[in-house]
Amino acid sequence: MPNLSPFFVTGLAVGAIYALSGVGLVVLYRASGVLNFAYGAIGAVGALLAWQLLQYELPETLAWLAGIGLATLLSLGYGRMVAPHLAYRDTVVKAVATLGFALVLLGFSRWYWSDDPRQFAIPTDTIGVSMLGVRVTVTRMIAFSMTLLITIGVALFLTRTRLGLLMRALANNRDLSALLGIQVLQVETWAWFISGVLAGISGLMLSDLVRLDAIVLTFMVIPAMAAAVVGRLRSLWGTMIGGLLIGVLEAVATPFQVISPYRSVAPFVVAIIVILWLQRRRVITFAGGT
Amino acid sequence: MFNLRFALTHNRRSQLLIALLIVMMLLLAGCFGGGDSSSAGDSGTTADTAEESAAEPVAGEEEATEKEAAAEEEAMPKEEAQTTEAMANTLCGLGTGEAATGEPINVGAVVGATGPDDFSSAAKGAAAYFNCVNANGGINGRPINYIVEDDGWDPEQAAQVAAKLVNDDKVVALVGNTSFVECAANAQLYEDENVIVITGVGVPRECFYSANIAPTNQGPRLSNLGVIQYAYETYGARKFACMAPNVPGMAEWICDGLAAWGADKGVTIEPVFFDPATMDPTSLILQAVSSEPDAITISTPAGVAIPLFGAAEEQDLRDKYHWLGPTSLYDLDFPAAVGSYWDGYLDAEIELVNTDSTSPDNQAWLQILDEYGTPDDPRDSFSQAGFLAAKIFVATALELDPASLDRDTVTEALRGVTNFKTDLMCGSWYFGPDLDTHNANHAGRIVSQVDGGWETITDCFEIEDPDLAPILDMEAQGGLID
Repeated sequence: MPNLSPFFVTGLAVGAIYALSGVGLVVLYRASGVLNFAYGAIGAVGALLAWQLLQYELPETLAWLAGIGLATLLSLGYGRMVAPHLAYRDTVVKAVATLGFALVLLGFSRWYWSDDPRQFAIPTDTIGVSMLGVRVTVTRMIAFSMTLLITIGVALFLTRTRLGLLMRALANNRDLSALLGIQVLQVETWAWFISGVLAGISGLMLSDLVRLDAIVLTFMVIPAMAAAVVGRLRSLWGTMIGGLLIGVLEAVATPFQVISPYRSVAPFVVAIIVILWLQRRRVITFAGGT
Repeated sequence: MFNLRFALTHNRRSQLLIALLIVMMLLLAGCFGGGDSSSAGDSGTTADTAEESAAEPVAGEEEATEKEAAAEEEAMPKEEAQTTEAMANTLCGLGTGEAATGEPINVGAVVGATGPDDFSSAAKGAAAYFNCVNANGGINGRPINYIVEDDGWDPEQAAQVAAKLVNDDKVVALVGNTSFVECAANAQLYEDENVIVITGVGVPRECFYSANIAPTNQGPRLSNLGVIQYAYETYGARKFACMAPNVPGMAEWICDGLAAWGADKGVTIEPVFFDPATMDPTSLILQAVSSEPDAITISTPAGVAIPLFGAAEEQDLRDKYHWLGPTSLYDLDFPAAVGSYWDGYLDAEIELVNTDSTSPDNQAWLQILDEYGTPDDPRDSFSQAGFLAAKIFVATALELDPASLDRDTVTEALRGVTNFKTDLMCGSWYFGPDLDTHNANHAGRIVSQVDGGWETITDCFEIEDPDLAPILDMEAQGGLID
C-alpha cells in the first residue's frame, strides 16, 4: 500500500479551489436560478489578463486585482445584459446560454492569448513547510484557509444580512418575491457580483496551482459543478465538503497505476455516488412520482 | 414581468457602463502590448483552422502581409530589405525570382491546431518554404497550393479532413503533418489511395509504422531514448521515471521502448501515465518520485510540462533527480516560462539541429521564415521538421515532368528518395522503399537549459532502440544513405 498522506495533503489545496468555485456557483444558482457554465471561462480570462499585466511589469497586486476585476465585470455584464432576458425560461435554457458565453470567452482567450508556454506564479509559492512527506507552500495554505473563510463569510452573509435574506427569498420563490417589492434585478446583480469575484479568485489560484491555460481553466467548472451537486446546489457546507472530497480523491488515486490515468473522472464518481445516496429511499415510478 | 422590464430600461445606463469597463480593460491589455510580439498578434489558432493557400492568399492575409512588409521596410533600409529577399530567393526551388503562374499543384497537411495545445508549427515552416518556391518559379512553373486542415486532436475530425484532402482536393501528397491522432486514423486511407505523407512531426507509433507515412522527426520514443541514454552515460542514472500522457499509441510505446533498451543494462523504468487534462500536477510529480528514480523524463508538449516543472519546483526537487525531456520541451519560450530555478538542471534531446545553428540549411530556414512566413510563426524544431519535409517534396517534384505530375508520379518519386542530405539532420533522410517502418532520423544532440535559454552540449550521437533493427539492417544493405 503506497503512502497516501502526501497525496491527501496536496489534494486538499486543489479540492479547496474546487470548493470555492462550487460556492460561487451555488450562491448564484440560489439567487438567480442560473447554473453558470461560464464560471471557469470567466476565471480564465481574468487570470490571463493578470498574467498579461505582469508581463508589462505592473505591480503584482494591481495585476491580480485587475484580473479579479475583469472576471467580476464579465460576470456582471452577462448577469445584467443577457441573464434578465432569460429569467422566465427553464433552468436548462439558462444553463445552456451560459455554456454559449463560456464558448465565446474560450474562443476569445484562444485567439487573444496564443498557446505559448506560460506560467503564473505568486510569491508565496516559494515559501513552505514539510508536512506528512510533502512540502506545503503558503499558496496552498492560503487556498485552503481562504475557502474556509469565504464559505463561512458567505454563509453568514446569506443568513445574517438583509441582502442575504432577499437572495434566499428569491431562491425560494422569485415571482412572490417580486410581488412583495423585492428589487429582483438588484439582488441578482449582487449574486452575479459575488460569483464573479469568486470566479476571479478561483481562476488566479488554479492558474498557479494547476496551469494557466484557457481550456484547462474553462473546464474547471466541471469539478466545481460536481462539488455544487454534492451540496445539492443549496448547501454551502455540502459544496465545500464535495470540493475537498473530489480534490482528495483525485490526488490519492494517483499512486494506483491501474486507476491513475483515469482519475479525472473523480468529479463524476463523487457526484453520482452522492446523487444515488441522496435518493436512496425514493422509488422512481413511470408516472413521474418519487 | 412589468417590474423586470421597467428595471431593465431603468438600468440601461449601468449596462452600458459595465460594457464600457470590460472593453476598457481589454484595451488596456492591448495598449500595453503595443510593442510586444507575444501579445495580441500572437494568435495563429484562427489562421490554422482555416485553409491556408500558399498560392492564393485570402484577402485578409494579403492585407496583413502587406502591412507587415510595409512595417519591415520602414524598419530597415530599402536596399537591405531587397538584399534579404534576394538571398532568401536563392534558397528555394528554382530561385528564378519570378512567381509561378501555371496550374496549381494541390499539396495537403493535417495538423492539430486547436486542442490541448497548438500543434501546427511544422505546417507553418512548410508553408513559408512553399511560398518562397512559388515566388521563385514554383515546380517548373506550377505553384503549390498548400491546403492545411485542423484535426482538433480528434481522430474522427482527422479522418474527415484527410478524406477531404485526398478525395476532394486531390492532393498529390501531404507534407508537414503534425498531429497526435491523424496517423492512426488515416494510415489506411493513405495506403488505399496511394498517397504519400512526409510528416513533419509524427508522435504516436503509427506515424513510424505505416506503409505510406515517413516523418522527418524522430518521434517521442527515440527522443526520450536519446536523453535517457545521455543520462545513463553522463550521470550514471539507472532508474528512470517515465512520465507520458496516456494518448493511445504513445505513452506505452515510449516507456516500453526505454524498458526494452535498458533490459540488459540494469536499467529500470517506472511508467507514470496520466491524463493531460489532469488538474493536479503535484500528485503526478509525487507519484514519479515515489519510486525513488535517479532521473525523471517528462514527455509532453511544452505547455503541459510547465505545471509539472512548477510542481517539482514547489517541492524543491531539482537537486534530488536528473530532469530530462524530449524535443517537445525544446521551445525557446520554455526556459523563461519555467524560470531560472531550472537553469543547469534540465536536459533535452533535440531531433534536428539547434535552432540557433549557423549551418546553411538552418540559416535558410530562418531567412525564409523571415521573408515568407509571419513574425508569429514559431522558430522551433517542429517548424524545422515541416520545412525539411517541404524541401524534400520540392526537390523530388522538381525532377518530374510538370505536365505529367500527378499523385501517382509523385508517390513513386517520393518512395524512391534516398540519401537526402541536409544539415538540419544528423544523418541523411530517405523514404525506405518496400518498408513499413520509416524512421530515417535516428541520431540527435542534447541541449541543456542555461541562463534562461538552451545550450547545445553534445555533438550528434546515434540513438539505440531495439525496434530500429530492421531499419539499420536495411541501411546496412546500402543504397539508402552514404
